[in-house]
Formats: sequence, C-alpha cells, structure tokens
Amino acid sequence: MLKIQGLKAEIEGKEILKGINLEIKAGEVHAIMGPNGSGKSTLASILAGREIFNVTAGKVEFKDKNLFDLSPEERSREGLFLAFQYPVEIPGVSITNFMRAALDEHRIHKGQKPMTATGFLKFMKEKKELVEMDTKLEGRAVNEGFSGGEKKKNEIFQMAMLEPDLSILDETDSGLDIDALKVVADGVNKLKTKNNASIVITHYQRLLDYIVPDVVHVLYDGKIVKTGGRELALELEKYGYDKIKKEYEN
Amino acid sequence: MIDTDIKKNEIVNLFSKNTDYLISDNEAIELKKFIEKTKLPDSKTEEWKNTSIETLLRHKYKIGNKSVVPDEYINTFSFYGLDTDRIVFVNGFFSPENSTVNQNKGKIIIGSVKEAKKNNFKIFEEYFNKTNLYKNNFFSAINTSFSQDGAFIFVPDNIVFEKPVHIVNFINGNENKVIVQSRNLIIVGKNSQIKIISTYHSISSDFTLNNVGTEIIAKEDSNLEFYIFEGEGNEASHINNTFVHQYKGSRLKTNTATLCGSLVRNELYIDFKDEYCEADLQGIYLPDKEQHIDNFVNIIHSKPHCTSKQLYKGIIDNKAKAVFTGKVFVAPDAQKTNASQSNNNLLLTDNAKVYSRPQLEIYADDVSCAHGSTTGQLDREALFYLKSRGIPEKRAKTMLMTAFVEDVLNKIEIKPYRDYVNYLVNKRLKGQKVEGLCSVKICPNC
Repeated sequence: MLKIQGLKAEIEGKEILKGINLEIKAGEVHAIMGPNGSGKSTLASILAGREIFNVTAGKVEFKDKNLFDLSPEERSREGLFLAFQYPVEIPGVSITNFMRAALDEHRIHKGQKPMTATGFLKFMKEKKELVEMDTKLEGRAVNEGFSGGEKKKNEIFQMAMLEPDLSILDETDSGLDIDALKVVADGVNKLKTKNNASIVITHYQRLLDYIVPDVVHVLYDGKIVKTGGRELALELEKYGYDKIKKEYEN
Repeated sequence: MIDTDIKKNEIVNLFSKNTDYLISDNEAIELKKFIEKTKLPDSKTEEWKNTSIETLLRHKYKIGNKSVVPDEYINTFSFYGLDTDRIVFVNGFFSPENSTVNQNKGKIIIGSVKEAKKNNFKIFEEYFNKTNLYKNNFFSAINTSFSQDGAFIFVPDNIVFEKPVHIVNFINGNENKVIVQSRNLIIVGKNSQIKIISTYHSISSDFTLNNVGTEIIAKEDSNLEFYIFEGEGNEASHINNTFVHQYKGSRLKTNTATLCGSLVRNELYIDFKDEYCEADLQGIYLPDKEQHIDNFVNIIHSKPHCTSKQLYKGIIDNKAKAVFTGKVFVAPDAQKTNASQSNNNLLLTDNAKVYSRPQLEIYADDVSCAHGSTTGQLDREALFYLKSRGIPEKRAKTMLMTAFVEDVLNKIEIKPYRDYVNYLVNKRLKGQKVEGLCSVKICPNC
C-alpha cells in the first residue's frame, strides 16, 4: 500500500525528517507516536501533499505509484486521506456542496457517473449514521462554528464518504473528551477492512486503547527510532518518551 | 498627457448642439456657469485620487442615437422567471417598442422622464433636479444639463407594488465611440413599497461612455429596494451618480453588482432628511484584466435615530484595480446614529490592487459607528483542505471565491434576479466571458 524509503524533508532550510523508512500493507493499522516536534505531523503533511515542505531525499510509493508525481487532489482520488489535526473553517462553503464536489471528482476518476442529488443525500445520511455524526450538517458551512469534537468527527465522516485505501489520522485524539474519542475511534474501526490501511499519529497511548494498532513506531528527531507491537505503546505510557530519548541519544 | 480642458470643452460642445433637454432654460443658464468653472477630476481631486479618467478621455466620442434592440436581448431575463414591468432604454432614450408596462395600476407611473415632463408636468416639476446631484462633479453636471431622457417611476402614497420594475439600459455604439446619458427619477410615496432593478448592457464592444444620473426620493415610511447590475462591455466606461433623499421612517436597500466595464465609477449619496431612516447598501465588484472599478458611498446622517449599513466585497484579478470609499458624516445633532461599514477584498494576483478608504466624520457623541476593511488573498489552508479531498485547484478556488461573495449575493431579495446575478458571478469566477451581450444572452459556448 505505502512504501517510504529514506525520506528526508526540510522547511526553510531546517531538516525535519531525517530519513524515514516505513512500509504499510493492506489491512494494517500503524501507529506513529513521538514527542512534540519529532516530525509526526510533517510526515502526514508531506504524504498529503502540502507544498510548504521541501522533500530533499527518498521516495514514497503509494499503490505502486510515485506519490510525489501526484498533486494533493490526485492523491485523494487515488485513495489517500488525511484527517487533519486542525480542520479549517471555510465559511460560505456548505458541507453538502463540498462533499458533493469531492465525491463527484472521486467517481469521475474511477470512471463512474456522478451521483444523483437524491442518491447523494441518501449516501451522506448513511455515512453520517455509520460514524454516529449527530451534528446537523444541512445548510452548514465546512467546520464553521463546530466544536473541537465536531470538527474531528467531521473528518471521520468525510473519511467514510470518500472510502480511502489509506487514511492518515493526524492527532485526531487531540482536544477530544473521552466520549468524542470513542465515537471517533468507533468510526475508524467500522471503516476498517482487509483492503485498507491506516496510520494513526498520536502523542498519547489513550487512542490506541480504542484503535488497536498492528505496529507501533516511535518517531524522534525526524527518524523512526523504535518499532514494535502494541506493547511498545504501553511501555511508552509507563515510562514516557524520556527513556527512548536517552536510548537514542546514547 | 491629455489636455483635460480641451477634452472638457469637446464633450460640452458635443452636447451643446442638441436641444430638447429635461432642464428648464433658467436651470440651463445656471448650469452653464457651473460647468464652466468645474474641472474634470484628476489626480489632484481628493475624491478621485485613486481613479484616473484618462482611459475614457482617450477617445473622441459621438452622441449615441435613439434605437430599438431585438427582443431576444430582453427575453433572457424571463429565463430566470423574472416577471417584471419592464422599461427599456437604448442609448439613454426610451424604447417603448421594447418595453412592457401594464399602466392600469392606479396612479403609479412607470415610463420615461421625457414623457413625464410632457404628461405629468406637476410631478416632474416638483421632484426633478431637486437634489445636489447636479453639482456633485463634472459628470453629474453635464448629465443634468444635457440629458434628454431616462427612467421615471412614480409611486403615489399607500401603494405596495409587488412586481419588481426592471429598467434595462442598452448602449449601442454601432461601431462608433459613443457617449450616452440617462437621467432617472424615482419617487416612492408615503407608506409605499417598490422594488427596482436597473441593469446595464452593451450591444457592441465599442469604446463607450455611459454617464448616468439618478435621483431617488423616498418619502415617509416608504420602502425601496434598488438593484444595479453593470454588465457593459469591457471597453465601456460607466459613471453612475445616484442621489437619494430619505424621509422619516423610510427604508432603502441597494445592491450594486459590477462585473464588467473598463472604468466604472459608482457614486451613491444617501441623505437622511429626517429621523428613523434606514439604508442598507451592498456592493460586489469583480474586476479582472485591466478593469478599474470604483465605488464611492457617501451617507449623510443629518438627523437622529437613523441606521446605515454598508457591505461591499470585491475580488480583484490580474492587473485590475478596485477602489472603495465609504464616507459617513454624522451631524452634531444626529444622536443615536447607528452606522456600520464593512469592505472586504480578495486579491488574486500580485499585480491586483485595491484602495479601501473608510472615512468617518462624527460630530455627535451618542452614536454607534463601526467600520472594518480587510484585504487578503485566498486562504491557502482552506484551498489545501479542499484539494486534499480530491477537488481540483481551479474548482476549489472558485468554491472559495463564491463563498467569499455569497453573503452579498444572498441579500438580493428578488430570487430570479439573484439567480441571474449568481449565474453571471459564477461564470465570471470560472474565468468565462460575461460582459456585453454575454450578460443578456445565455450562450453555453462563450
């Protein structure tokens, strides 16, 4: 699904990623953990195609295609999805129009006909129910006036709508209370199939009680310094990042 | 450099040969003196310092002739379900052949000023040229002095007129560079209500100059919605001076949409003559290429308890330039004035320019006056967000631009007209042609 080899990236001359290697197969859930400033969100942004970062070395293959040959919109249509850490508010753009436009583009890309208006509304309702999104979306602008929890749920709702092959959840748990966290995690779990994969980026172990990862990576100082099973997350919870930092620095 | 005095005399002489003006001979004598001492605005004229009229002075104009337009140019509006009484003016002259007015609606008069002068002289004499429009600037002076016709709408007291009135203005150069003038007069009686749409289009893509003057009298507790759509060709210059006198408890709503034109200057003066008046003024301007669009609003709060609101939004592309000046004057005894002003601009390129000038002059102490002006670029974060969901850049940009102007468009209360403006705004934001005949013909290819 995704193969990252020797990825290095910088912003304004400062190297953030210093050689990342990572391989994710269909059906897997990978967690990327790490202290603040380790490069977790940078990695997510680069995968989604944010242009402010400068990739200096390495390559990324997504479904056997060179990811860097694809624009952000093409990546999305190919099946890559980023759940944003800070979803932006877009006043004046209604969620319905936004999702309709997005879904149309995805369907055209797959050689399908755009949905009819009623078909689309029905589809949207189903997906809303699936991810237990109880916010009224009709007539509302994208994320405008949404609470922190609603914004994150809206990301999972969009993920359900677009049915990606690879979803990257960038600190989706940050700022969520335990109830919202459960809803978000339930949504992600329901969307999981043997054909898709997820990268769950998080600072805390807490989310991983609900979304159980197959592999846990620890990112520190722009590199993956440790990889293990679920127990690695529990270990981090117990000892904090200091132990790993020390090991790495020695 | 163009010698503005020579140009001024050239324009004045052009009209002086005509006869049959709307003003009286006495008024004409006074105006002649006023025009003699009034200079063309230039960069030293404070109120015109960001708008150069050089583009319109480059040409030698003829006077536009009276003519008729094919009905197909007018039928467009009914495609949107716009059912109106319609008066059509071509080159400033009333075209009864193109107009549809059902006159049996009480004492309401919808027609031309020239006819009103002939058939309803008492009303004409009472209201015509009674504002300060004539001495606003050179253009309003020559408009007053030399206009021969224009739209005339008179609503007597206590009449609620549901159906909107549509004033359709065509300019037709017939391959010539023409100058056209129209002088409109609108009177809304006590407790009366009316909605008026005024649209401007050009038939050929000539260098033309349309010099419009409009006087509006809104009497006690009247309610007027006044919409302007400017869709002339992109070689056309358009100067529009509108003066409104509002009386006690009257409510006015305006919405000016400028999509086309090479040089456009809209001046809107609101004078609250009495207490408890309300004016809600909106505008949208979308210049691209080398267009220049200037909106100048001047609100005079001379009496207490009046409310004025301004919301003007613009998207400026390529090397285009926009100017917004919002003046609010609050007289010493105009207590409890409530005035708000908001001007927001989106610059799409490094070469696009906007001059936004809020000017508040407040002499009363118990007032609420607020103003805000923003100028920015498309939100890159929002753009990335849309793209990250599979929406191509161009479509994403159009979505964001449409969203930016949406609140101004949503305030248009006549749905078919709102649909019409929305359609053209969307076309324009997609980079398609909307000017001239494209604003009246729905052609999928252009």
